[in-house]
Amino acid sequence: MSLHSTRGPFDGTMSIVYECSSCDVQMAMLTNKAETQMVRSLGVKIGGRTAPAEPMETLRSSLAVSHEEPTSESSSGGRCPFTGVISDAMAAAEPESALHWTQEALTRLEAIPPYIQPMVKRNIEDYARDQGLSEINEGVMDAVKGQLGM
Amino acid sequence: MKNYNDIATDGGSDVMGQVAEQHDRLGRRLKRIGSMIAVMSGKGGVGKSTVTASLADALTKMGIRTGVLDADLNGPCMARMMGVLDFKPSPKNGSMTAARNEFDVSVMSMGMFLPDEKTPLVWDANSQRGAYTWRSMVEMSALRELLSDTDWGDLDVLLIDLPPGAERLQNLVDLLPNLAGAIVVSTPSVVATTVVGRSISMATDIANIEVVGVVENMSVVVCPACGHQDKFFPGTSMVEDLAATHGVPYLGEIPFDPRLADCLDHGQSYLQTHQSQPAAAAILSIAEQVFSWTKTESL
Repeated sequence: MSLHSTRGPFDGTMSIVYECSSCDVQMAMLTNKAETQMVRSLGVKIGGRTAPAEPMETLRSSLAVSHEEPTSESSSGGRCPFTGVISDAMAAAEPESALHWTQEALTRLEAIPPYIQPMVKRNIEDYARDQGLSEINEGVMDAVKGQLGM
Repeated sequence: MKNYNDIATDGGSDVMGQVAEQHDRLGRRLKRIGSMIAVMSGKGGVGKSTVTASLADALTKMGIRTGVLDADLNGPCMARMMGVLDFKPSPKNGSMTAARNEFDVSVMSMGMFLPDEKTPLVWDANSQRGAYTWRSMVEMSALRELLSDTDWGDLDVLLIDLPPGAERLQNLVDLLPNLAGAIVVSTPSVVATTVVGRSISMATDIANIEVVGVVENMSVVVCPACGHQDKFFPGTSMVEDLAATHGVPYLGEIPFDPRLADCLDHGQSYLQTHQSQPAAAAILSIAEQVFSWTKTESL
């Protein structure tokens, strides 16, 4: 079996698809939201580390908002705990298309406390991509609202 | 078909190896620290952080190399109290630089990683719903990193300011098996001493940590104008009795002085500017007892 494709992470889960080179049978590993979060909380990397941990790596990468500018993901894996082949596959994947935010949706986003805006924005965009949408309007925000628990 | 017990490895992740490396890293970093002492209470609002900051101030003035770790991740205040509010840590040689205040106290706090004092600590997640299942885990990872990834330099004493909650000490001991001891803070009220009594039992009976002693905070209030002292709480010798009941030392009482609170609000040294006040004498006396204890403990 060899890695065929990956999907996500969307809403905290990923699908990693493997394919048999002989008969084309595919099987997928699905990551559970809670397990993904747990692994991340422990500060360990699934697949093993390819570089030493950065100082306060878990703390700095786990804050919803900090005084630091977001740093580029290092070879040790960055925010996603599932590294190695997965991060390579993710890097090789086609870049995600930019989503258009309507003015009403942006206004509504800006009404949210600033310290959680980046997290909310990312969740809404993940949802929109998952649904195959190209525009984020108030209807999309309403659909996501219940899922965020905030 | 293999079952779970037949699996020889975890597929190359070596999660246990990574966790072991985290602990090794912690051990290596803390080798340069003489004594690590937790400042705890179990009860909120009794003045743990005030006592921590005051003891750090006093120990430093006694020539003892002192550091402070603010272990209250959700309510960090040590950066303000120690006069390093604007300091932002940066990575250097594989660790994060600790703040050093004008008296050379090393300070590390969660607050230094947040944009400002108004921003609450929110951990990044796809949903905050169900966060109770993982929040304590990421907080323990963060506390471990604050300890292990800070360049503390060479210290004689590291004071660890714990948040309220009797279980906090147990969590810290899990991370730091070589924690030297705990200073317990209480006010002279029935409510406080009852809760603090449980925390002392937790420290001595469950966590097997030696209690350096009990500090009675806000025992009396001192009039800044004439020096007249009045009781703040109705209890008399309540905290001293608490210490005696548990067979742990009573380190003394610190009178409430509004100027102490004002100094810490502005990150200034109370001992520097109010050395003749009763609270200053009390703080210095307690610090001397703590340092004497560290010398005994290290024998």
